[in-house]
Amino acid sequence: MADGIHVAAALGWLTDPWSQPIMVRAFVEVALLGVVGGALGCWIVFYELSYGAESLAHSIFPGLVIAALLGLPLLLGGALGVLVAAVAVFLAGRIEKIGRDTAVAVVVTSLFALGVLLALSPDSPPGISGLLFGDILGVTDSDLAMAAVLAIVVLVTLRLLHGRLLAVGFDRSSAKGLGISATIVDLVLLMLLALAILVAVQGLGNLLVVAVLVGPSATARLLTNRISSMMAVAVAVAVASGIGGLYLSYYAKIATGASIAGVMVAVYLLVALISGLRNRSAMTPNSATT
Amino acid sequence: MLEPFTLPFVQRALIEVLILAVGAGLLGTWIVLRGIAFYAHGVGTASFPGLVLAEGLGFAAALGALGTAGIFAIGVTALHGRRRTGYDSLTALVLVGCLAIGVILASDVFRSGASIETLLFGSLLLISWQDVAIAAAATVCAVAGSLVLGHRWMAAGFDPESATALGLRSKVPEFVLLALIALATVSALSAVGALLATALFVVPAATTRLWTSRMRSWQISTVALVAVEATAGLWLSVKTDAPPGATIGVLAGVVFAAAALTRALPNQLRRHAPVAASLALLAIVGIGCGSSDAGSNAAASGSAAPIVVVAATTQIGDLVTVVGGSEVKASTILKPNSDPHDYEPRPSDVQATADAKLVFVNGDNLDAWMEKIVNESGSDAKTIDLSLGLPVKLPGESEGAGASKFDPHWWHDPTNAEAAVLEIRDSLVAVDPSAKSSFDANADAYLRKLAVLKASITACIEKIPSADRKLVTDHDAFNYFATAFGIELIGAIIPSQATQAAPSAGDLAQLSKLIESENVKAVFPESSLSPKLADAIAQQTGATSKYTLYADTLGAAGSTATTYLTMMAANADAVVRGLSGGRQSCSIAGL
Repeated sequence: MADGIHVAAALGWLTDPWSQPIMVRAFVEVALLGVVGGALGCWIVFYELSYGAESLAHSIFPGLVIAALLGLPLLLGGALGVLVAAVAVFLAGRIEKIGRDTAVAVVVTSLFALGVLLALSPDSPPGISGLLFGDILGVTDSDLAMAAVLAIVVLVTLRLLHGRLLAVGFDRSSAKGLGISATIVDLVLLMLLALAILVAVQGLGNLLVVAVLVGPSATARLLTNRISSMMAVAVAVAVASGIGGLYLSYYAKIATGASIAGVMVAVYLLVALISGLRNRSAMTPNSATT
Repeated sequence: MLEPFTLPFVQRALIEVLILAVGAGLLGTWIVLRGIAFYAHGVGTASFPGLVLAEGLGFAAALGALGTAGIFAIGVTALHGRRRTGYDSLTALVLVGCLAIGVILASDVFRSGASIETLLFGSLLLISWQDVAIAAAATVCAVAGSLVLGHRWMAAGFDPESATALGLRSKVPEFVLLALIALATVSALSAVGALLATALFVVPAATTRLWTSRMRSWQISTVALVAVEATAGLWLSVKTDAPPGATIGVLAGVVFAAAALTRALPNQLRRHAPVAASLALLAIVGIGCGSSDAGSNAAASGSAAPIVVVAATTQIGDLVTVVGGSEVKASTILKPNSDPHDYEPRPSDVQATADAKLVFVNGDNLDAWMEKIVNESGSDAKTIDLSLGLPVKLPGESEGAGASKFDPHWWHDPTNAEAAVLEIRDSLVAVDPSAKSSFDANADAYLRKLAVLKASITACIEKIPSADRKLVTDHDAFNYFATAFGIELIGAIIPSQATQAAPSAGDLAQLSKLIESENVKAVFPESSLSPKLADAIAQQTGATSKYTLYADTLGAAGSTATTYLTMMAANADAVVRGLSGGRQSCSIAGL
């Protein structure tokens, strides 16, 4: 009897949050973008593009302002802004002696500053920098539809490019020998990242986008070497952390985006700690080097 | 042409950027060599939780920022060992962790943070001598570190594997480099803010990297380039009246692009590069000299000139303009289309404050940044805090040592606006007694309109059945409005004043249940915030979110709410339409 009551209470505890449509939508959005973040994130981590994942969102800003000033749809302006930034990062990164991170810094700093100056125009609408930044609890049906389309585009593209991404990521020079163009692979990956940021930022907000693109895949990398199993683990970690974060936010009343992002970072730290302890006890001095 | 540099606040800014140039240029070369631009960007941005804590617990903001930056540096070094996570992923993870803690502190612990964003953004025009001293200390540390540890950083930078083989495995030099970058970026926060620090620390070093490979010449040319870009950007910003941080950012980006394009040109064409560079320089000077000079046009003041008055917020600016009439030249610091949270003052704002006789502020922590503008502009204006003499005061809701005791949105009660008008009138009379009759007449005429406004709104609200007079807004800005007109406040969607704050799923669920059980008809998004959360709540509960309120600023030009009176009328109309299900409206004649 008592067990039955406990089970019922536990079930109630588990299902209660999902009686609210807002929570169900947040769940669907987290799950969809968890798939994108887990799969794409593995390549982001592999290609060391985390800075781009964090900062390219700022380059939406000048695009928004220009679109507002010209009377174009804001989303179009934001898309142009982030795609121009991705191409500029790609071009600057090709310059000899300028690394990818430096290229991101140069491009994002310039574009963000340009946005600030353009936004001084009296014709620019108020609060424009916030217009394209969402909150997971404010997800709309169109956000969900766009996240679903994004998930399909990302998964299909990654599937088609899988071999090439792998070859270029492991060894650029030998990939060239195999007839694989590193240029196209780099450019496509940056475009996918730009697209993912544009879509995800509206549903998740900037903080959570970085978390979902980097946290689960960095965790998966600690656990497995094969890229395909890494992607599976990353997707699982992303979705599970998302749901865990939603429960935490529901019951502990902590800001939702921060709580999901916090769970993702905490999972990474926990796995890093455990794998560090296991390595130490196994006494394998040169086991885990990148 | 050089007159911008005669202004005292521009001179101090120049000293600051020249000091920063040495540290930023030097460290910039190490940042670019080691490819750790993300770290340099992240360590400044991660100071957010430190700033929230500093405000909440009441210690110096610089200490909070420095503490978080130190933890950031330790975190990245500690995690970057033999783990299979690259430096950039680690930086992202530590940054996300810091920001998540900051959001939670601002949303759920202190429920405050009104003045934090101004610290994250910073302005070169509002540098204090203390900021200059911190920048100087950071620069001295950077130079000393480079002299002592430069060869270790270089060995690890050019060839990490052989450096490891040579036994240079100690983490100490690495940590010192990260710590020095943390110190320097934090010291630059007050000047350029977290998002544009890379304009000093990364972009110039990347530009010179295109032309030189030898470490020593690279370092010297980078320091020189930072100094030149920052000085030119400062000059251009005063000439064109743009914020200096963003101007320097765009200038640095343009110089990089020009340098990169020149390198891509074939050799024959490259010989013309000096000519092109001179032409570009002429163009910049042309832009600067062609623009109206923000510094000098405000400086002219004769005996018959109007009284120069500065108002911090749009609604106070409107009241001052109405009462002052033609005897007063009023400038408003916040513009209707700028978010008060990420506003960087323009040179003309600082200059107007320097020349002002009177400064009117809202008080109660809503515009605490104004004090900095008054102090650092060298102004001897009398600052009048309008919140001090109000008849209606409601308790504030934020917590922590830096929080205001009172809710700062007092102007939403017209009774308070009446008191503010009298205070403004008396302050103006004290400065220019000869214009007393004019100020009296203006104030009297306006007080009559305020009385009409108050009576009309009261009449409009009274037509709504009292069971329906229930208000849910985007953030806690309408306590005064609700109290003045007998509306019950059910709740607000965003639990805090800070824009980085966010609601929790639990709070929103509770609010939704409350809206349903209380049968609330409408939730009201705000004109300057994204309506998405309000729309989501409305969709879930069956309330409407069609009607928008003006909370913190007046409406932009072209909207129906460009003055205090029309803004209040627009809010009243929105509330009446929302609470009556669109069946009633509230139009007020004679404003």
